[in-house]
Amino acid sequence: MKRILFATAIAIATVCSIQAAPLPATIKIGSAESLTGDNASYGVSIRKGIELGIEEVNASKLLGSSLLSLAIYDDKADKQEGISVFNKLINDDKVSAIIGPTLSSTGFAAIPVAQKAGVPVIGTSLTAVGITAMGDYVFRDCLPQAVFVPAALAPVKAKFAPKKAAMLFESTNEYSKSEADVFKAALAKAGIELVASESYSKGDSDFRTQLSKLAAKKPDIYVFCSLIGEAIPVLQQAREIGVTQPIVGGNGFNNPNVIKNGKEAAEGLVVGAAWSLASAVPKSKSFVEAFKKKNGSDPDQFAAQGYSAVLIVAQALKDGGSADRAALRDALAKVHNVDTPLGLFSFDANRDPVCPPIALTIKDGRYQLFQ
Amino acid sequence: MDLSLFANPVFLVQNLVDGLSRGALYGVYAMGFTLIFGVLDILNLAHAATFMWCAFAGYLVMAVGGLPLPAGLAAAMLAGALIALLLELLAFRPLRREGADKLSSMISSIGASLILVSLAEAAFGAQTRRFPNSVLDPKPFYIGGFSGVRISRAQILILAASVVLMVGLGLFIRRTKMGKAIRAVAASQKAARLLGIDVNGVIVVTFLVAGALAGAAGILVALLTNNIVPGMGNQIELRGLAVVILGGMGNIEGAVVGGFVLGLVETFTIAYAPGGSDIKDAIAFLILFIILLVKPNGIMGRGKADRA
Repeated sequence: MKRILFATAIAIATVCSIQAAPLPATIKIGSAESLTGDNASYGVSIRKGIELGIEEVNASKLLGSSLLSLAIYDDKADKQEGISVFNKLINDDKVSAIIGPTLSSTGFAAIPVAQKAGVPVIGTSLTAVGITAMGDYVFRDCLPQAVFVPAALAPVKAKFAPKKAAMLFESTNEYSKSEADVFKAALAKAGIELVASESYSKGDSDFRTQLSKLAAKKPDIYVFCSLIGEAIPVLQQAREIGVTQPIVGGNGFNNPNVIKNGKEAAEGLVVGAAWSLASAVPKSKSFVEAFKKKNGSDPDQFAAQGYSAVLIVAQALKDGGSADRAALRDALAKVHNVDTPLGLFSFDANRDPVCPPIALTIKDGRYQLFQ
Repeated sequence: MDLSLFANPVFLVQNLVDGLSRGALYGVYAMGFTLIFGVLDILNLAHAATFMWCAFAGYLVMAVGGLPLPAGLAAAMLAGALIALLLELLAFRPLRREGADKLSSMISSIGASLILVSLAEAAFGAQTRRFPNSVLDPKPFYIGGFSGVRISRAQILILAASVVLMVGLGLFIRRTKMGKAIRAVAASQKAARLLGIDVNGVIVVTFLVAGALAGAAGILVALLTNNIVPGMGNQIELRGLAVVILGGMGNIEGAVVGGFVLGLVETFTIAYAPGGSDIKDAIAFLILFIILLVKPNGIMGRGKADRA
């Protein structure tokens, strides 16, 4: 009898060791998002994406009998609040990983807490430079603007074969200036000569002279790096002075107001984006459908990135076979070509996203995939 | 310097057109500004806020109310006149009655300006308002074919309005009885009162006219740039002051000429100087400084007694 018990014990032990430590019945994922205040629209959108992702992962039995559960708190877009939410998630909820926070500023304050405690963090909207440099537990699935904004150039080049480009940017705005630099590098890489570059200052509203000066150089394409305030008059005045060549816009032009106010002037504009409703990625189409069914509205980029973060974490849990924080971190670093709405997704050596940006064009009054 | 651009006559004429229409805006704006200065010897620093409110008034009538351009223009000028009247009654007259000095009036106008801008921010938010294309067709006319010189309907309207308003205001000031009364008040309020002129009534008329001019400028700027925001007065405020000084304080024709000079200098700096946009203000104000060194009273400046 004793011998049988012993043998059984050994057998059980063997089975266990083969399965390593199996995934627990419930795996807690934490999230800190800005759910109230000025930035609530981003945080609420991300939460909807995360919730849909968790439902789908649980329904698909991707993790066998293990289920994901979500602990989400409002970080109020505040640094101190972000730190206390992170502490709560790490120490009270004992989550395996944290998705968030919503703003980069909150991220810079709160993420070091998770890094120190050894809890993996996935940012879904933290595009600032230096986020993933905070430590080896910090990941993000949002492409930086420097990557997706100039991505519009490649398909424009393929379609129109432009040789000369002209650029307009705001010299009194750091963002517009850095976007212009990113475009300059991308143009050089694409072998398109920048024949003219003009600027304007904050508050200017008449750009005809700069645009005429650009037009005098007869460029094949125009690149405009304006913020949303100036984007529409720049576009309208460009059309007024007779610009019919393709126009590639910076991130300020990826805004529904460009269509609403720009009307005909906006037609044909090309912008780069990390994700869009118009995306042709199959997983994106099924995501949009499921999101609409659950929430009764279209998802935005933030929802898509929140949803994708859950799929990526789930894949890492499956690959690593462990809900242990350190093991999950290692598995996350290794995920390869996860099928997400953002396209086939991997992390690079710096834990920044590797996924294909898309190019959009305004056609018939809406953003469509540029082809 | 970009030499290839100098050899391009179309580009040169184009910049003349764009510069003159830009200058015409400064001129229309500065006319109202200089009128109040000429008559009352005070700077009405709420003129820019009045101008901004008129652009919104025009927007509400045309873009929201769906009325045509003449109605929008009339609404903007009426709104300007009303706001200027309120400024006179609430911000200037009480101080004048107490015999406060000119500096107090200026501070009072700064306060009024802040209130007007805050009210606009509260009423309209920070979001930019724009006209639908139905208000004024944005497609320009081309002189000499599609690669020729372009002039938009808004630019034609602005150039015409600046000349009409300048001539009209000049005639009003010189030829009408009210104009003579305004000049009398400008020369000496005390003497005018002794001659039986209703000084406060004359000042009210002055404010109404100046406000209407701010209204015309507001709607014209809104049409040219299609960018209506509560902060739109900031851009024109300093330039308007510069134009008034350049033309000669209190001089109506001088304001228009000064406006054209500033508009042309700015446009040609952007057009021909490398990095022109960044240095346009520096160049414009350098030229203003040089002109004032040569003619300290401004291009068309005269002695104080002849103002307005």
